[in-house]
Amino acid sequence: MQSIIQNILNGTMMGCVYALIALGLSLIFGVMNIVNFAHGEYVMLSMYFTFWIGSLWGIDAVATPLITFPLLFLFGLVTYYLVIHRTLRQKYVTQIAVTVGLMTLLRAVAQIIWKAQPRALPYSVIQGNFVLGDYTIMLSRLVSALASVASILLVHLFLSRTWPGRAIRAASDDLDAASLAGVNYAWTYALAFGLGSALTAVAGGVLMAFQQVDPTMGLRFGLLSFCILALAGLGSTLGLLISGVIVGIAESLAMGLWDPRARSLVVYLIFVVVLWLRPRGLFGRK
Amino acid sequence: MDSRSKRNRLLSWLLPLLAALALPWLFRSNQYNLMLLTTVLLYGVLATAWNIIGGMAGQFDLAAGGYLGLGAYTAGTLLLRWNITPWLGMIAGGIVAVGFAVLVGYPLFRFKVREVWYALSSAALVSVLRVVFLMWENIGGPTERYLPFHQFSLYHLRFGSYIPFYYIMLLFLASALLASAWIRNRKLGYHLLALGDNEDAAEVLGVDARTCKLKALMIYAFIIGAVGGVYACLYGFLHPNFFSSSLSLEVSILGIVGGLGITYGPLLASILLVSARELLRASLGGQLESLYLGIYSIVLILIALFRPQGIASFIRVLAARLRSRPSRSRV
Amino acid sequence: MTSDPLLEVSGLTKKFGSLLAVNNVSFAIQSGEILGLIGPNGAGKTTLFNSITGLYRPEGGSVRFRGVQIAGLEPHRICKLGMSRTFQVLQTFPSMSVEEAVRVGAYNRHDGKEALAKVDEILAQFELERLRSTRCEELGLAFLKRVEIARAAATEPSLLLLDEAGAGLNATELAELMRMLKALREDKHVTLCIVEHVMKMVMGLCERIIVLDYGELIAQGNPEEIRRDPKVIEAYLGRRASR
Repeated sequence: MQSIIQNILNGTMMGCVYALIALGLSLIFGVMNIVNFAHGEYVMLSMYFTFWIGSLWGIDAVATPLITFPLLFLFGLVTYYLVIHRTLRQKYVTQIAVTVGLMTLLRAVAQIIWKAQPRALPYSVIQGNFVLGDYTIMLSRLVSALASVASILLVHLFLSRTWPGRAIRAASDDLDAASLAGVNYAWTYALAFGLGSALTAVAGGVLMAFQQVDPTMGLRFGLLSFCILALAGLGSTLGLLISGVIVGIAESLAMGLWDPRARSLVVYLIFVVVLWLRPRGLFGRK
Repeated sequence: MDSRSKRNRLLSWLLPLLAALALPWLFRSNQYNLMLLTTVLLYGVLATAWNIIGGMAGQFDLAAGGYLGLGAYTAGTLLLRWNITPWLGMIAGGIVAVGFAVLVGYPLFRFKVREVWYALSSAALVSVLRVVFLMWENIGGPTERYLPFHQFSLYHLRFGSYIPFYYIMLLFLASALLASAWIRNRKLGYHLLALGDNEDAAEVLGVDARTCKLKALMIYAFIIGAVGGVYACLYGFLHPNFFSSSLSLEVSILGIVGGLGITYGPLLASILLVSARELLRASLGGQLESLYLGIYSIVLILIALFRPQGIASFIRVLAARLRSRPSRSRV
Repeated sequence: MTSDPLLEVSGLTKKFGSLLAVNNVSFAIQSGEILGLIGPNGAGKTTLFNSITGLYRPEGGSVRFRGVQIAGLEPHRICKLGMSRTFQVLQTFPSMSVEEAVRVGAYNRHDGKEALAKVDEILAQFELERLRSTRCEELGLAFLKRVEIARAAATEPSLLLLDEAGAGLNATELAELMRMLKALREDKHVTLCIVEHVMKMVMGLCERIIVLDYGELIAQGNPEEIRRDPKVIEAYLGRRASR
């Protein structure tokens, strides 16, 4: 019983970070009806950038998002204008193809440059544990979770209170109405893409405080974010957070109680079952 | 169609076919090249079948590896346990693959469920199957299950040389191309193309989205499952790595790069890209395995951005220029 | 002369969350007539269309087409029963040629050689033979609209609903469109229901008009009656005044 609760605690904290990653994906999907298949690879890239910055300049992993956030934002913008924008008039299959191509490319590039050897940063200010009764809470996980929740909150405020944020929301609420009114949506799309990508920088930063990175990370985080997005549906930020926590807990329990190999299997299963039974998601509006 | 263009049409199929039939004789002493040719044909079959679900129906499928593996394990297990010839095992493999396909496709092909979810769940399917067969000691398991070796057995579909495999694969390719062309020029093909272009518009014109997509999926899955049986005999063993995500990815890339909805497009892409991959692998060795996927993905992105009709459209334009009047026939 | 209406809409209601887009609308379309549906922007005309043709599921009310309940049926079934439509935001088949697009529609009732014959017939009827091999994505607005109507006509509907077919056309193009639609009714006995803003088209084509405002039916009658109806004038003027 104790280990179950321990796993639930760990899973909850990790789930918050996963939710942040999924939020980035959801921004893009909600506005453009495109799932960026390469989203997981962006997380991986953030982690590698964090590693570089951390190794070269000795900056702590948790501080790196100050640099990597604008970097990934730029990266997202460039991706949008270079790759995505042109395909919006094409068949849907082509739109999917382009992000699948991007994903494959990034993964291949990562494998060539970094090979299979994982990289990690040696020290972070958020190391250490503290004990709560029978349970151990790792500071790194806790800080990551809190940072993620704070970021999610900030994004939520941005979407509901600021003008560009509301434009993104409007575009995502009704694509047909927006195009009818002849709204120039290109910049809204670019903004959403940039912001969605930049959010992975925050996640990447905190993750590097306690994890290693290798070229297969993209697959893992991609899968997690797709699953959370499917589970949550579109339209509710809180729903996304809850779904993230659910998936985080499921993953943690699977690893702790069943088999470490089954970690991704459980996520796949949740994903597939949700799509079969409730494609709109638990909290989806459409 | 006048008799001259009918004759031209016939030649455009007959000549390559004759060339293909004669090719093994050129390389009869070089097993490596024969393997290369057979692999090209294999991917040609997979990509041509993919075209039906991806190019025509517009569903970005990433489960080719799943159906291939299912077909392989079905035929292989039938052979290992009950000594049933893979010729029958292939059909069983196709049926099993279809069963799975329907399981996945039926809930997902409801009207207005976005296509991305199909793409993602098909990818997930392959990974799930791989882990399942890894853990399923009875039928699968982490080590290779070897099929009985024979120097030359038509019954067991084992041969000491690649030549017989080449011809079998050629037969498969011809069947796949025929199936694809047959669908393409009829009601189902037009319905699928309409769905792929604009599902809303297609539906109000009387196209039943779910039924059409399921039909396309079933045909595609059957072909892949059936060729899975040959695949198993080609390798001579069964292994969960047959459920390969990168193979699924490659097949879809070939389908897109070749030209969505064009019958011979995927074959063309297969010839060009797979040969390039093998040559790359031969010259650079296993270290740079990922390089070919990187190159594939660049080609994919370039085609998707600048020439979505695929490389087959270059051939079309060329043929039209040669004939020096606007091209009206569809292959 | 049939006494039962071809299409009978009773108490149709459609909501988006808390927004009441269509509120308890009832009207009928008689076989062989050309009915106009007008109203200010945002009145709910397209939503009404979408609810009748199966793209939306209405929350309340019923739609009977030839006596059959069709509310909530899938769009392709409704097409099979004999109702077809065009879209306000053109929904083309970008990778297909004109001929191929029409062929998709023709397959609704025919197969094989019959379908090809139907395609030729439709292309002739809508004067699109010259453009038969042109890809849809290369066409200009007027021809795109024509293709969209031709495509729908190929399904051999008894009732064709047109959503703002007249928008963005110049005088010549408009006249041509009206001519073809009239011919469609006269020669092929297709009943038409058009949603329109272009008054010239409405007054010139329709025998009967219904008016929607804020999701409700506020008037019905022939063009003369509607032109003089104070509620209609109020609806249009009131909108303009509040801008």
